[in-house]
Amino acid sequence: MSFARLQHGGPLRQTFIGLGLALFVLWSAAPVLWLVLSSLLEQKALIAQPPDLSFANFTFENFSTVIGAAAALGRGIVNSLIVALFSTALALALGAPAAYALARLSVPRADAISFLILATQMLPGIAIAIPLFIVISRLGLIDNVLSLGIVYLSFNLPIVIWILRGFFLGIPAGIEKAAAIDGAGTFATFWHIVLPISLPPLSAAAVFAFVEAWNEFFFALILTRQQAQTVPLVIANFAGQYQTVFGQMMAAAVISVAPVILLAVLFRNQIIRGFADGMMKG
Amino acid sequence: MFFVAPALLVLLAILFYPIVDSILLALQRVQLAGGEVLQEWVGLGNFQRLFGDAVFWKAALNTAYFSFMEVALVTLISLGVALLLNHPLGRSGLYRILLIVPWAIAPVANAVLWKWILNANYGVLNGLLKSMGLIDNYQVWLGTPFSALNFLLIVDVWKSVPFVALLMLAGLQRVPQSLYRAAYMDGAGPWQSFLNVTLPTMRGVIAIAVVLQTIWSLRVFDLVFVLTRGGPADATVLLNFLAYRVTFNFLDLGYGSAIANIIFALTFLLAALYVWLLWPREPRGAR
Amino acid sequence: MVHNFSRRHVLKAASMAGAATALPGFLANQAKAQAATLNVFSPLPPDPAPPGAAKFSEEAFAKWQADNGATVSYEMLAWPQLHDRMATAFASGAAPWDITYNCGWVPEFQSFLTPYADNLPKALVDDLPPTSFATTTIDGKRYGAVFTLSLLTLFYNKEQLEQAGFKEPPKSWDELKACAKELTKDGRFGFVLNYGDPAGIGGTASYWMVFLQQAGGKMYGEDGLPVFKSDEGVAALQMMVDLMPSTDPGSISYAGINDATNVLLAGRAGMMMNWPFMWNAGSDPKQSQIVGKLASAVLPAGPKGSASIDGTDAWTITKASKNQEKAQKLIEFYLDAEVQKRQVLDTGWLPIRLSVLADPEVQAKAPNAAVVLEQAKHPYDSFVTADYNQVTVAVGTEVQKALQGNKTAAQAIADASEAVTAIVKRRG
Repeated sequence: MSFARLQHGGPLRQTFIGLGLALFVLWSAAPVLWLVLSSLLEQKALIAQPPDLSFANFTFENFSTVIGAAAALGRGIVNSLIVALFSTALALALGAPAAYALARLSVPRADAISFLILATQMLPGIAIAIPLFIVISRLGLIDNVLSLGIVYLSFNLPIVIWILRGFFLGIPAGIEKAAAIDGAGTFATFWHIVLPISLPPLSAAAVFAFVEAWNEFFFALILTRQQAQTVPLVIANFAGQYQTVFGQMMAAAVISVAPVILLAVLFRNQIIRGFADGMMKG
Repeated sequence: MFFVAPALLVLLAILFYPIVDSILLALQRVQLAGGEVLQEWVGLGNFQRLFGDAVFWKAALNTAYFSFMEVALVTLISLGVALLLNHPLGRSGLYRILLIVPWAIAPVANAVLWKWILNANYGVLNGLLKSMGLIDNYQVWLGTPFSALNFLLIVDVWKSVPFVALLMLAGLQRVPQSLYRAAYMDGAGPWQSFLNVTLPTMRGVIAIAVVLQTIWSLRVFDLVFVLTRGGPADATVLLNFLAYRVTFNFLDLGYGSAIANIIFALTFLLAALYVWLLWPREPRGAR
Repeated sequence: MVHNFSRRHVLKAASMAGAATALPGFLANQAKAQAATLNVFSPLPPDPAPPGAAKFSEEAFAKWQADNGATVSYEMLAWPQLHDRMATAFASGAAPWDITYNCGWVPEFQSFLTPYADNLPKALVDDLPPTSFATTTIDGKRYGAVFTLSLLTLFYNKEQLEQAGFKEPPKSWDELKACAKELTKDGRFGFVLNYGDPAGIGGTASYWMVFLQQAGGKMYGEDGLPVFKSDEGVAALQMMVDLMPSTDPGSISYAGINDATNVLLAGRAGMMMNWPFMWNAGSDPKQSQIVGKLASAVLPAGPKGSASIDGTDAWTITKASKNQEKAQKLIEFYLDAEVQKRQVLDTGWLPIRLSVLADPEVQAKAPNAAVVLEQAKHPYDSFVTADYNQVTVAVGTEVQKALQGNKTAAQAIADASEAVTAIVKRRG
């Protein structure tokens, strides 16, 4: 058997792999497909048994109702955008230097600190919800997108540090030495040399942080009232009513996940590569 | 040093005070009265009450089952998916897109979607299975304790597999070809090279996947909140949800904080355990 | 949502200007009274919501704001999240609202509320059903005013009943069981309800309380300890268990009333208990497949007669509010006869005022109003206490276990009683 044959496998193995891939596609895509289909169907088609997929029942009515009826959805999207961008920017600004320091500069007990930072991820949101709420409301910052963005740092920052530290650990040591020879200080090395080569993991970390901030529900529920409502809250509102028009609920869900999915798909290569490099040395 | 300082300060500020306060709350009995929040110290009283509380133990059991099964299933399935995608047949970009999409969907939206799919009267799962003749009547998927907990599991596994699969895929792609070649030279077949080359090299990645997935499985909330609200008959009450219910529905802040701190301690211990057990011991890269 | 219609501002400015010029001195001073902002916390429509939040009486609302020099801003939230939002806000001492909606949580939040309802004008109070303050009165003081008559009644599919040979809806437990049994065929069920969420008003425990009262039992004794571990308590639960073979099996997973409502409106179940709002939903061709076939009746009587529970949708004023008087005036506006009339005609939520209920126009639009009034002649205690949430979770969970056949009714009631005793004792 040639090496190539070992890698590719014979016809039997290839068939299995093909089947496996087909199953994977079905498993991953089917629910999302149904999400989109449901959002385009009328209520009476959806409550038929089984759902009536005849062409006549397709409509954009759900979308128009959802967009028209709720200024909330529009504002929710704007708020989510602000919160996510702000939180991501801050996480990167604070996290990248920290990750670099923990990876490359001789910070005492760097491993322990890194683990502690990861440990903060293990705290259930509920535990810190009320104390946080008290502090933030005393500061008068309730229902404020910026304060929500800062609260989100509590989970974004650790993850950014974790991802970037992993990547930084993998950079050859020679880089700093070369830069030092050229007379560059720590910060210059970091800024001009290390960062530019870190674009993949940086963008991976950025997209990750953005997505997490966009999708967050619990803190948004507690720390916002009307002005700063984010998208997940709007979705939850749809699901909580006296009557449910399923198509509308799905339409709202589609509108809310579409931007993030688009982002993720566009940046998938960076994310994948960023994780590849970043997580390996974690 | 000042590179690290800003980040650490921020984390300290956002998390330090609340964590400390929540530990303090766990040692108190908190009641709302007279427009004020009345706090009185009860030491370990809340924890004593926890250990005698049947609902707590039920939640702990549910959580143990849920976490264990989720980590096992996600790790296995992700590995499988990663292997599939690492094969030349699986190189198409479409597959990677499919991996990214479920990860990007908000947990709330995911919960709402699956609640709709699993709907006892109009859900498409029922519709499909009945049209294919696999079931006679529409099933109430979330109707029995056993079924509800397992479907909760399936839904979260569906959402979690993609990200972990990405990790695994990245790990797979870093396994040096030379190792495979060497194994081939030694006469190893595909299964043996998998066992002796792939798995050992992937040890670190698998460890990371297990740690992360454990942490995340213990934080599942949106799903329970939307899909089952802990029902039927407390069958899907996970520790996290119990802490929420006790804190916000019963306003028993001290008790809720106690539960939350137990979750924290548990997660911390588990993660430390994994890291210690599974971390590959190799010399660090040059600094 | 904050509605910042410029129209409202123009109206307000215009009326102020007009008042200032047209009226003699002291009245002019009234009109230029301090402009205050009132924050109101309310459910999202189509759950019961006030004018401005829901679409009715908008002009009257604008006028009221102008006349009283107040701007009303609404914070609306989906119903299942209301309680938690209030709980967090009160717990942290930072509740920003003047008026809040309350539904069975008045005893729980009592210390944050003002007993303003004692000061309501006599004319208004006389026009309200006497028991409407039952769930909002604590220690003899009235903390809230219910604004919609909302009791559980029986809703059924006339056509299905007739086809099965029943000319009249069931009037007793035995008739209910027999009727449900007859209706269960061809993939349909006789009965459907949402047993999925144990907690709160409209949760599993509260449904059992309906049957408990129909059996002649009650929840608590004089000392506040549970007394439902009795023949009545067990009989009530047993009734629900006996109904299960004719009940849609999905019921145990329906967390919200709308899930159960959808089943009936799709024609897949024959009967259910529901709130008056169902009438509107049932008559809407976009949601209902049984338009014209829906009917409503008093709940079937148990051994001691019929009974129900009170939806207790009420307005309360927070102690922290700086505008106590204005807030009370706003609530009086919500309870104004004309506004109440528009409430039922435009949104389907029944009025609470007896005079409006008797109005022929209202009776024509909401035929179920007569049924609800009839139901109101029987007991409808919701047994609301400060631990209501915790109690209903404990009791509701036991009820769910019995409904699923995992425990006998007697065992479930015994366990529930034990749990509730512990809860009550803990409050001290």
